[in-house]
Amino acid sequence: MTTETAPRVALPGGEMLAWSDLPERRLAEGGPLAALLARLVPAGARVLLAGPHDPALLARLAHAAVTCLLRSHPDGVVLADRGARVVVGGPAGLPDDEQWDVVVAAAGLDAVESVEGHRLGWDGVLARLVTAVAPGGTLLLRVDNPLGVHRLVAVSPWYVDRSDRAWSVGGVLDAGRPANPAQARARLASAGLRPEAGFAAYPDPDAPTVLVAADELDRRATSGLFDAMLHGACAGDPGATVLQDPARLAVDALHAGLGSALAPGWLLLAHRPAGVATDDRAPAQPGAVTADAGPDSAAVSGAVAGGPVDSGTVAGGRADLPVALVQTGPPGVGVVEVHAGADGWRWWAGGATPRSEAAPFASREVAHRDVAALHGPVPEGRLLRTLLLDACLRRDLHTLRHLLRGYATWLAAQADADGRLAGATALAGTDNVVVVGDEFAVLDPSWQATAPLELDVALARSLWRFAAALLTGGYAHPWASTLDVAGLTVVLGGVAGRDLSRATVAAAVEAEAAITAALRGLDAEGRVRLADELRAVSPTDPPAGPRSYQQLREAWLRQREEMTRLSALLKWTEELLTSRERALRRADATINLLSGSLSYRVGRLAITPARLAKRGARAAKRRATAALNQRRPDQEQQ
Amino acid sequence: MHHANHFYGHAHVLARYCGLGDGHPPRINGYVQHGWNIGDGLAPGHPYAERTPSLLWSDQTRRRAWSVGRRNVVTIGAPFAYLLDLRRDDPPEPHREGTIWYPFHGWEGQHVKGDHKELIARIQATEPGPVTICLYWHEYGMRRVRRLYENAGFRVICHGYRGHWWKDTDPFFLDKQLSELRRHRRVASNRLTSAIFYGIAAGCEPAVYGDPMILSDEDPTFGGTARIRRQWPELHGESVDQTTAVEIARAELGTDHRCTPAELRELLGWANLQEDDVDD
Repeated sequence: MTTETAPRVALPGGEMLAWSDLPERRLAEGGPLAALLARLVPAGARVLLAGPHDPALLARLAHAAVTCLLRSHPDGVVLADRGARVVVGGPAGLPDDEQWDVVVAAAGLDAVESVEGHRLGWDGVLARLVTAVAPGGTLLLRVDNPLGVHRLVAVSPWYVDRSDRAWSVGGVLDAGRPANPAQARARLASAGLRPEAGFAAYPDPDAPTVLVAADELDRRATSGLFDAMLHGACAGDPGATVLQDPARLAVDALHAGLGSALAPGWLLLAHRPAGVATDDRAPAQPGAVTADAGPDSAAVSGAVAGGPVDSGTVAGGRADLPVALVQTGPPGVGVVEVHAGADGWRWWAGGATPRSEAAPFASREVAHRDVAALHGPVPEGRLLRTLLLDACLRRDLHTLRHLLRGYATWLAAQADADGRLAGATALAGTDNVVVVGDEFAVLDPSWQATAPLELDVALARSLWRFAAALLTGGYAHPWASTLDVAGLTVVLGGVAGRDLSRATVAAAVEAEAAITAALRGLDAEGRVRLADELRAVSPTDPPAGPRSYQQLREAWLRQREEMTRLSALLKWTEELLTSRERALRRADATINLLSGSLSYRVGRLAITPARLAKRGARAAKRRATAALNQRRPDQEQQ
Repeated sequence: MHHANHFYGHAHVLARYCGLGDGHPPRINGYVQHGWNIGDGLAPGHPYAERTPSLLWSDQTRRRAWSVGRRNVVTIGAPFAYLLDLRRDDPPEPHREGTIWYPFHGWEGQHVKGDHKELIARIQATEPGPVTICLYWHEYGMRRVRRLYENAGFRVICHGYRGHWWKDTDPFFLDKQLSELRRHRRVASNRLTSAIFYGIAAGCEPAVYGDPMILSDEDPTFGGTARIRRQWPELHGESVDQTTAVEIARAELGTDHRCTPAELRELLGWANLQEDDVDD
């Protein structure tokens, strides 16, 4: 018996045979984009992935009928092997008589067009994709930000691109493409769609690890959650070279209410109203998403993904969609979502896959991530690290004392009878604690210590991490530049009301190495190397993370400043030494005079006037010679 | 390092607080403000190594020091605040009475111009109880001045020699001062000075009145006595509001900024001492 199957790769013309677009950097299980699509796409829906997307999305969309529109033939073959229906060619190659319930252009529109054939341009491609959206359907469109954080920190400007894909460099000078969400929404509206919520994508528009509802991002400028998310997402690749620290810039943007405006990219949702067809070539089919956006689709997608269905509202009208999706931590953790509910934001981490091969070793790790702990409300408040940095910059010792004492007291209140902290509290560093008034709370309780830590070691670890970031980051602070990282840790401990010893700080650095090694999955050798690096961190080093020109220069300036200080100190010490040596000679002479024999004392007393006279005569001769030498050139000039 | 750190036994008090005992204190990596100051916290005319930390009493002084170009300025609180902590468990004085009066002093290189007799008359007319006059060692050594006060019926004392170039520092200068202050109900002077703030912190009612006298070569850079009267009018007069005075003294002595011993050891550069650094 033979089974006939339709060809999985359609070639309507315009395919690129020696080309590949599939992203090099791929996030585990497709990352937050895949999680977002899982919520957007109901079971049985027809989905068009227009442009190159991570093949992992196909696995997350197994419940839907997926068609891929690609320009690269090799990519098409790869995706067809994974079971997708593939059309390889330019946008003109899409079948005219077909529409999809969800059209996804999460790689932007540029990568949809082929080098072959007639160029449609941004608006032209959009128009074609809008036509492909079934009435009642949804378009998910990526728009890149020409002034996003990634651009502002890039070493090379966007207009110098000479890579293979830069056969045409589209940028902000091209009035034919939108440069911000408002412009994009206007174009979506004029193309016949109804723009809806949008997500800001950080840190890399090609592979965002964080998606945040754009309007929430702008409205909650002091949110500790967003602060930690953006900082974590942008802390970045240690091998990268940047102009300035993207994490600092992203958090500054957040606090300035520009978190969305400076996002590297945006994912915009637009809905095609059910009753307004732009053409009647393809009527809606059974199984299509025909409901308007809102509670109905919330019910559908909530049921599909097994997530919470909240009655809360999200600006933009999509209560079913998360406020934020974030992928952090070791592989297998999946994407963690934050949903708005009637009683505030709640964690949701149902997409996580259980740890498999790592599990047998879990008991030997000192720390691990347990996403099962992410089920309750997300505590509100400002991030402790940000509050501390702000107080350091303003040199506000009162606020620092208030915050650090509150923090230390809060930690101490959770210690067991032996004075040890366990679980999430043991790892509750300043970058994972939020503060409201005098109340402290762990932001993300999934980071857990497997073995309990001594209270002072846990506090010292947290303060050491903050001290290292403060000093290597070059932040202004109210203490002297003569403090090393361990010294500042002890000082911070003092401000927190705890007298930490250097031995405790050394134990904390070892704990930090062990915890970081466990969370990063380093082997024993890697852990030893990490511990050596941490012990060697000095205030004149640049910070950990990407090599930033700005911070490398600052580190060099700090070194120069330290040299200047030490030179001045050396000069001062030399002068003091000379003065003290003179005083010592005088004292020696006095002692000799007082302790010598009678004849010695008489002799010294007799000789002293002669010695003084001789010294005076020499000095007079020196002065006279100098005066003569000075006069001679004067006379020669005359 | 700087000999001014040893004035009044300040370095000794800090060393005791840090748990280093009563011996000769190790070198401090910085300059400790050695008196209440309306400038940058350092003594004008002293040579200082640039960017070596200034360890100042109050945040206001720190801000001012920064504004006049000082860097590496750190607020640690006054040594007297550390002494108060060292002696917090002293038994309370059974009976505090009278006034301890500090006629304004210059230092060895300056001489006060003013009429001591007129000041004595003012003190006698104002102070309700017995008066102890505390003279700076320099004036205490001037028999003529000392006699003036003694003949007026006052008890005349001196807390000791502040020291110079590490010589003859009385390591218990501040201790003696605190003991005397705690015996008295009031503290007074003709100028707002460290002693007034110490007195307030030791529980005395403060008063600042009488001819402020002037130094023969007073440095006008920071505004002198006129500015002091403008900026702290609440502390001038024969009787001032105690609550306000306590609040101001707390800020000026930086009592809230007092460090823990380990913290202070780091800030003074005493965290990694060799055995030889602490001697007798």
